[in-house]
Amino acid sequence: MTNLSRTSPGDDVNGAVHVVRPASSRWESLALLFAALAIIASVTGYVLLRPQHAGPPTPLSWQVRSFDGLGAVDQAIHSALLPAGEEIIWNNNDTGGWITLEQAQKILLPPFYRDAFWKTNGEVHWQLILPGTHLPHAGSVDDHDDADAPTPPPPSDVSKATLGQGATVYYGSAGRAPGQSAYLLVIGHAHAGVMWANQATIWIHRDPNAPYPGIVKPESLVGQGWRQVIPYDGASEVERVKGNQP
Amino acid sequence: MTVSTRHRALWRSCLALLVLIPALAFADPTAPLGKKLKIGVTLHPYYSFVANIVGDRAEVIALIPAQANPHNYQPQPDDITRAMTLDVLVVNGIGHDEWAFQIVKAAGRGATLPIIQANASVALIPIGGDQDGAKVVNPHTFVSTTAAIQQVFEITRRLGELDPPNAAVYRQNALAYAARIRALRAGFMTRFAALDLSSFRCATTHAGYDYMMQEFGLFVSAVIEPRHGVAPTARQLANTIDAIKKANVKVLFAEKNFSLDLAKPIEAATGVKVFSLSHITGDTYSADEFEVAMRENLETLAEAVEFMQR
Repeated sequence: MTNLSRTSPGDDVNGAVHVVRPASSRWESLALLFAALAIIASVTGYVLLRPQHAGPPTPLSWQVRSFDGLGAVDQAIHSALLPAGEEIIWNNNDTGGWITLEQAQKILLPPFYRDAFWKTNGEVHWQLILPGTHLPHAGSVDDHDDADAPTPPPPSDVSKATLGQGATVYYGSAGRAPGQSAYLLVIGHAHAGVMWANQATIWIHRDPNAPYPGIVKPESLVGQGWRQVIPYDGASEVERVKGNQP
Repeated sequence: MTVSTRHRALWRSCLALLVLIPALAFADPTAPLGKKLKIGVTLHPYYSFVANIVGDRAEVIALIPAQANPHNYQPQPDDITRAMTLDVLVVNGIGHDEWAFQIVKAAGRGATLPIIQANASVALIPIGGDQDGAKVVNPHTFVSTTAAIQQVFEITRRLGELDPPNAAVYRQNALAYAARIRALRAGFMTRFAALDLSSFRCATTHAGYDYMMQEFGLFVSAVIEPRHGVAPTARQLANTIDAIKKANVKVLFAEKNFSLDLAKPIEAATGVKVFSLSHITGDTYSADEFEVAMRENLETLAEAVEFMQR
């Protein structure tokens, strides 16, 4: 009868254990350790250095975001001022003139057109101030009849002392909706050399009866409590979601 | 070859050069003369916008079939074929047509097809109602008049850059179109002027109407869908029903052309009256679809406000 061997692989014929090491035994564990460290370092590096998706623009102390920094009425008027500004600039490019508030009534242009939107959003009194003057242009005062409406504030002393700044301004004040602001749609004019030429910027003032500021350069507006409205637009949203687009 | 024949050939060459050199010098790299731009659009409103901007100066091509639901659309091979032929693509870009980018990529046009983000200059507003305290961007800028005009202007500006010879015509057409949209709005504003809007409270199944409501000084008190295109859980639905009752909401706007599955139980639980608004999706693309759909929407909105006055 054959004796069955009770030895294990690696045992010699005498039963002594003989450990057989793989050829790579000296560096395999070390390589594994290095590989693990490299993976950890790579992941940590990616997490720390990965390109950040842009968030909504952070407003500076003198700015306010339209998306979450404005009340409902201010937000509605801002939304209407944006396309109005674009149309006003196009009209100026084509005709050399500015859309007066009389014309705005004829072409039904919000927020100047006196409709239910205007009524719901505080019945704001609008004035057009042309470059070279601090006074409203003839035919450009929103002279709606309303005995109860507060008298629109007169131009400030500063504005009387400084005749225009080369920008065309649509100035809205005396709104009656709770929490409403005063508004400036400032359109830079290329020939006047203002810093935001050919663009429209929108400013608000917490006091709906804030006087017309006269000087409409940013530093002056900021000094008088006006804040620039930063629209959170589709381009910003695309950038937030997808990062910088080509 | 005789001397006179050689002279004639030389003259011909000179003449050809005289014609060709100015033609080459003034050739526009953005839009070859005489060639109509092929402008792709992703959604129904953009078909109307672009068709009204370009008139007969360019070709408008819908990227996907008219009947498709953009909220859950899966790109098809025909879409890819269409994308391969386009010169430019107009997109909403902020929440309705992500599939367009898959189509463009699959067509191998990712690096060569100019994309016009219609909303690039539109001031976005958050979805109305309580979104768990978060301010979530509402992508339905096309269900409105003011934001629609802003998009028309943005598309016009970009198309003018791509097709300078037609830029002035595009701008003229855009201004005329904007005037028509404003006239449409003004007609309803007159009707709204006689109504008391202060007590109007509404809920919507889909967060699609904040831009339109904003134009009339109206606000949405509750939105049934917790996220765009996502059905609510039982708990979320119960919370919304509570919110509707607390806010004394009497009107619920559901989606025309979509299921009323969400609206019915809420109507039963709260007694709200259900009205249907259009998301501006239809069976065919047309230049006047936006105006027709918005007229219907404004009519429905006016009826809802008048219902509240009774």
